[in-house]
Amino acid sequence: MTTPVVGFAGLSHLGLVSSAAAAAKGFRVVGFDADRSLVQDTAAGRLRVVEPCLPELLRDVASRLTWTHDASALSGCDVIYVSVDVPTDDEGRGDESPVADLLRTTVSVARPETTLVVLSQVQPGFTRAHQRLTADRPDLHLFYQVETLIFGRAVERALHPERFIVGCAESSARVSAPLEAFLRAFDCPILPMRYESAELAKIAINCFLVSSISTTNVLAEICERVGAEWEEIAPSLRLDARIGSKAYLGAGLGFGGTNLNRDLEIVQGLSNRFGTDARLVSAWRANSVYRRDWTLRLLHRVVLSQCASPRVALWGLAYKQDTASTKNSPGVALAEAIAGVPVRAYDPAARLERMLPHVDQVESPLAACEGADALLIMTPWSEFAGISAAAIAARMRGRHVVDPYRVLSAADANAAGLSVYRLGAPELA
Amino acid sequence: MLRHQWPASAKPARVVLLGARGFVATAVRDVLTAADILVEPIGSAELDLTQASNAAQLQARLRPDDAVVFLAALTPDHGRGIDTMMANLRMGETVCRALDQSPVAHAVYISSDAVYRDEDAFITETMRTDASSLYGVMHASRERMLQAQLGNAVPLAILRPTLVFGGGDTHNSYGPNRFMRAAALERRIPIFGEGAERRDHVFVDDLARVIAAAIAHRSSGVLNVVTGQSIAFADLAGEIAALAGPDVEVVSKPRAPGPVLHRHFDPAALHRAFPGFRFTPRGDALARAWAAYAVAR
Repeated sequence: MTTPVVGFAGLSHLGLVSSAAAAAKGFRVVGFDADRSLVQDTAAGRLRVVEPCLPELLRDVASRLTWTHDASALSGCDVIYVSVDVPTDDEGRGDESPVADLLRTTVSVARPETTLVVLSQVQPGFTRAHQRLTADRPDLHLFYQVETLIFGRAVERALHPERFIVGCAESSARVSAPLEAFLRAFDCPILPMRYESAELAKIAINCFLVSSISTTNVLAEICERVGAEWEEIAPSLRLDARIGSKAYLGAGLGFGGTNLNRDLEIVQGLSNRFGTDARLVSAWRANSVYRRDWTLRLLHRVVLSQCASPRVALWGLAYKQDTASTKNSPGVALAEAIAGVPVRAYDPAARLERMLPHVDQVESPLAACEGADALLIMTPWSEFAGISAAAIAARMRGRHVVDPYRVLSAADANAAGLSVYRLGAPELA
Repeated sequence: MLRHQWPASAKPARVVLLGARGFVATAVRDVLTAADILVEPIGSAELDLTQASNAAQLQARLRPDDAVVFLAALTPDHGRGIDTMMANLRMGETVCRALDQSPVAHAVYISSDAVYRDEDAFITETMRTDASSLYGVMHASRERMLQAQLGNAVPLAILRPTLVFGGGDTHNSYGPNRFMRAAALERRIPIFGEGAERRDHVFVDDLARVIAAAIAHRSSGVLNVVTGQSIAFADLAGEIAALAGPDVEVVSKPRAPGPVLHRHFDPAALHRAFPGFRFTPRGDALARAWAAYAVAR
């Protein structure tokens, strides 16, 4: 068969990265979004998402990419992905209506025998429930595919997926020929299964990640109290085949972002609906909130309760490195929780979405440290690691460095006269 | 977690203190008076809240723009049985009936950490109440009575302090107050067994400032008033002995058999609710309590 042309309907983070990856594998790609200004910005290289290597990749594959706000351009595609990110509210509840709307649009413009693939983060049952949209188009082939985008690593993940999980109408169904031809280009296993299984597999992956993160955080806190080092323990766990060399064993400030919370919300919703026991999920979420406040408790204990007019330096507003997203960001949550305490904040990419009167966002990490009693490193951006502890100490008034993610060398910081506080480790005063 | 109807602190028209004779109320009154806030104290001597028939009298004293702080309670010193619990519940009934007829602008209920299970070693506001004692059941019930009475019409702050200590405390429960009394009178502080149980202790002046802050922000919701720093009774006794003099010793008494239960709290919600609030360092708080106790003697 001829090389399929692949379309992506919805050019938010997921659609944009997926389009770039498809083009990188040699396919002609049509990227559609009804938002004309988004399309114009994307075509001009003014990206609205921060993702390492994405601008370069888009430049390299530009000749195979067509950006359009005209849905009819998708009619030239053999495979059309519905790739809009599902928006979520503060509680992690998703709104799937944009996915359904885009699916309707693609059904209306798809040429006969086109393969439609829902790539968006939908709840179990969505794809089967929306099969009705293709009721008048029995020539179309509808699939669901699990996305495993990770903010900050999206390009790497899109180019080198571990596997493809594809939801089909029935367990015995096969992936359509053009979709299979497209997926084979990524040289990884393709796992077809029922729609519902694939939709739940996506959530299962995130639940297992949360499980690892939460278990790590529970044990890391105990490390802090008993003089153990989680960083010494974690490698021994990775060598256990049942846990795995790539397990999420890094201690953190809970789990931020939207995807994990959204999927936990879905599990709890399903549990409520069907009467299953998901109390464990509540415990994960409670622990996440608790660990998010690790810095706040520490800051009160070692600085705010000890210092008459404290000042704070804050590095990192993004919820994780290599992204500009501040949703569920520990740094922003902390800044909001210390209203009245002057804060000088720096982030290489993120800006505060809501201005806080006590926070002054400055243009360099060391400028943030001027006169500070404590430095809080809330996002582990790689550029922070290159800053000398002596330079930090020279600018600070106080001696406290709260470095949950171990961005700085604790030994260097300690040698510069700084007290260092890290997740999963005893305090180094 | 608390929500503030007044994001910036402001003065209420008047604060009515129910249970004005207690040592917490005294501290609250001092804080409010120092802030030039009009206080209407109502003590048990003038109005017995355990008599539901007194609701009309209470109602007559309330104004629509009042903030009411409900501190009145018979503590376990008055008995741990059903009679004490029922008397406390009648107080709750009296207050609710008065508030029904004479709604106010804000209500603050001073509850207790006894609403949580004794076995819970780590506590946050998100945990469900599941009191082990009748005293805890009583506070949990009065919380629910007020919530049901006030609904969304009147903001209600429920504050759950853990063990409170300070000058003027007439209670003699196991902890700083009893330790100071023993140190002063007997020059020895008895602790049970090794005194290993860890507890959080809140200085009464700090509790009073939290109550005042909740009033000043017209807060609603639930907040544990806790420092987040639990200490073993043996260490606490040692700190008090050091304050009392070199001749004071800490001695061990037989302890009832059973597991050693600790109690730790997450103070993050309090930090978030009142970012500018700072607890008095424990050493300073104990010294002030000891000084107040010495003066009282």
